[in-house]
Amino acid sequence: MIILKNLTKIYRGIKAVDNLNLQIPQGTIFGFIGPNGAGKTTTIKMMTGVLRPTKGSISIDGLDIAKEPSQAKRIIGFIPDRPFLYEKLSGTEFFRFKAGLYGMAGARLDEDISDLLNLFELSDWADELIESYSHGMKQRLIIASALIHKPKVIIVDEPMVALDPRGAKLVKELFKERARKGTTVFMSTHTLALAQEVCQQIAIVDKGRIVASGTSKDLEEQAGVTGDLERIFLAITGGLASG
Amino acid sequence: MNIFRLLISPRFVGFKNNLKGPGGGRRVKILTLTVVGILFWLVLFFLFYRVLAYFSSQEMIGDVLARQLLAMVLLMFFSLLVFSHIVTALSNLYLSQDLELFHASPATLTEIFLSRSFYTVIDSSWMLIVFGLPVMMAYGVVYRASLGYYLSLIYVSLPLMIIAASLGILVIMVLVGFFPAQRARDIIFFLSLVVIICLYFLFRFLRPERLVNPDSFVSIAQYLGALKAPDSPYLPSQWATDLLWTRLTRYPGSQLLNHLLLWSTALALMVIDIWMAGLIYFRGFSKAQEAKRRTHVGRKILEKTVSVLTRPLRPETTSLIAKDVCTFFRDNSQWSQLLLLGALVVVYLYNFSVLPLERSPIKSVYLQNALSFLNIGLAGFVISALSARFIFPAVSAEGNAFWIILSSPLSARRFLWSKYFAYLIPMLILAEVLIIYTNHLLRVTAFMMVLSSATIFLLVFGIVALGVGLGAIYPNFKHENIAQVATSFGGLIYMISSSVFIALVIVLEAGPVYTILSAHFRGEAVTHVQWVWITGSFILVIFVQIVAVKKPMAAGLKSLSRYEG
Repeated sequence: MIILKNLTKIYRGIKAVDNLNLQIPQGTIFGFIGPNGAGKTTTIKMMTGVLRPTKGSISIDGLDIAKEPSQAKRIIGFIPDRPFLYEKLSGTEFFRFKAGLYGMAGARLDEDISDLLNLFELSDWADELIESYSHGMKQRLIIASALIHKPKVIIVDEPMVALDPRGAKLVKELFKERARKGTTVFMSTHTLALAQEVCQQIAIVDKGRIVASGTSKDLEEQAGVTGDLERIFLAITGGLASG
Repeated sequence: MNIFRLLISPRFVGFKNNLKGPGGGRRVKILTLTVVGILFWLVLFFLFYRVLAYFSSQEMIGDVLARQLLAMVLLMFFSLLVFSHIVTALSNLYLSQDLELFHASPATLTEIFLSRSFYTVIDSSWMLIVFGLPVMMAYGVVYRASLGYYLSLIYVSLPLMIIAASLGILVIMVLVGFFPAQRARDIIFFLSLVVIICLYFLFRFLRPERLVNPDSFVSIAQYLGALKAPDSPYLPSQWATDLLWTRLTRYPGSQLLNHLLLWSTALALMVIDIWMAGLIYFRGFSKAQEAKRRTHVGRKILEKTVSVLTRPLRPETTSLIAKDVCTFFRDNSQWSQLLLLGALVVVYLYNFSVLPLERSPIKSVYLQNALSFLNIGLAGFVISALSARFIFPAVSAEGNAFWIILSSPLSARRFLWSKYFAYLIPMLILAEVLIIYTNHLLRVTAFMMVLSSATIFLLVFGIVALGVGLGAIYPNFKHENIAQVATSFGGLIYMISSSVFIALVIVLEAGPVYTILSAHFRGEAVTHVQWVWITGSFILVIFVQIVAVKKPMAAGLKSLSRYEG
């Protein structure tokens, strides 16, 4: 379960995230959508311990990220939107490095790495340096490596960036399967069709505040329009009239 | 021309915005850099002023020496300019991240080439102009030069700069024609390092100190012969030397040929560059976009070594160290600096082996021990210089991938201390080798051997902590090249702090060591009061060491914990 309480982040006097409150049950795929600059990435960075909140608290499976950062991070799998990696490591070495950070080692680990490389169709490139990977391959590597420690919570910022349709399908199926097994997925995305397809709950954030949340049906009611998520999104964020 | 202006504008606008940005820290930064720059400038000016004033007081050979020195300085500046243009042209013309945007725009190839060449000239030349100026000013002051000399400085340096830039850019265009740009960078880096090391050895083993001692030459003719390097009539720096020398000494005679040679070469090379760019620049750029292939050399050995060395450590620490070692040895611009380190150590030790101790008017045993004491400071500075290059950038080396550390369960404390211990061990070994071997060459007393080994041992703890700690206080995760981090503002602060730390320890130990050695050589006993003072001094040394380890590491940790990418 993820709980965000009064979460606020102020950058040089500007509220990037404004008093955010959320409660996400275990095993849910949660969509976090909003226009550019709405505060989505800032929220995610605070949830993963990369940024410190100005105010408020974040609880991941009962662990406060500010008070018990190491324990909380141990159960999070973070997939950022920009695939910056250590270019001079090979895919396998990166996996081992990442696993090491989570205190993992041993023969079982090699098997897990091999399974994930296979799943993400990176086996042929496993021993190549990351600097020779394409953008999409780097994104696959980041997603795969975020799963190596079998996280209870997956926090993902724009999962489909640079992925080809095959990769995108793989990721969608993977998230659904993990959620069925009890993993909570917190996903920020601009791909509204993806959010509509896989998320059980969605929050629309604008100017750092949640302006609507719930299931697709709840959102329809709150927006006062029916139809696909794009229509609802535009109605809530004020883009429908101009568009 | 408008497009050209547009293409070069981002850097200037960015620079302007950077200056306008908020923060008192920026003002302190600019002020510190200005003060250090002015100090360096003044030191260089007075150094050359003293040397030239001494030369001019020497009849017959004074002018010969001054002219030779001018030729050497200009040749060095010219070579450095060419080399610096080669290196910066590679980044500016082939590797910069914004090039993709430019090449996808409607700007013509010539416009892109010219705008990037302009950046190259700015990047390569400003430093030499700044540091060359005090040298040339010293010449002007000593030789009471007229206004014409100062004006001709501009008139002569401009074509010299154009020639160096055109040659550098030409070399890089041809090189990238043969190798992909990434590979060309490695090759240039490696070759330049080899050249620097060779020059270093050559210079050291030629023993230039002999030139200041004419007694060692049989005749004055032989001395002059040794001084007079061969004239180089085909080198642009020689044309510039002749022109400036005539202005300095008001020597009558026409320099028309040198004027013509300088300017016609500069203009001709510019035309050739633009013509060659039309032929080969885009092909090279296109090649630079291709992916690199993996090299497997030494991979197994490296993996085995790392796994053995890190076996007793926790998986988090092991992962971090293994990653750092692999990254270091796979980046040619990193590992090849070890060659430079090797050369530095060899020359350092060689210098001690050729010290003419027996010819010194001071009693040898005093000198040996005094030298050994000063050697602690010297070795400390060598370790500091190496730390500035390798340890200070250790935190920044995480680069854009620092998010992985931040979002992992690894605490900032463990991250920082892992870096600390990973660098501490090799630095301790290196420092002890330097000190023990030089002490052995100096044949010092057992007391000095123990004292200097113990002092350097403790010093290294502080030097490494300062490097890691300050590296965390001044991180640069967005660098394009890790070598830039060492030369940043933070790097400068590190060198200053480290030097102050070493000097403090040396000053604290100097008195007690002098007292003990004097008493020893005079056959007297150290008094009780002196013992109290000596003990107090050594306790203070230990206190300084503890502060030097704890404070920067704590400050670095605080800064990292607050880091918000």
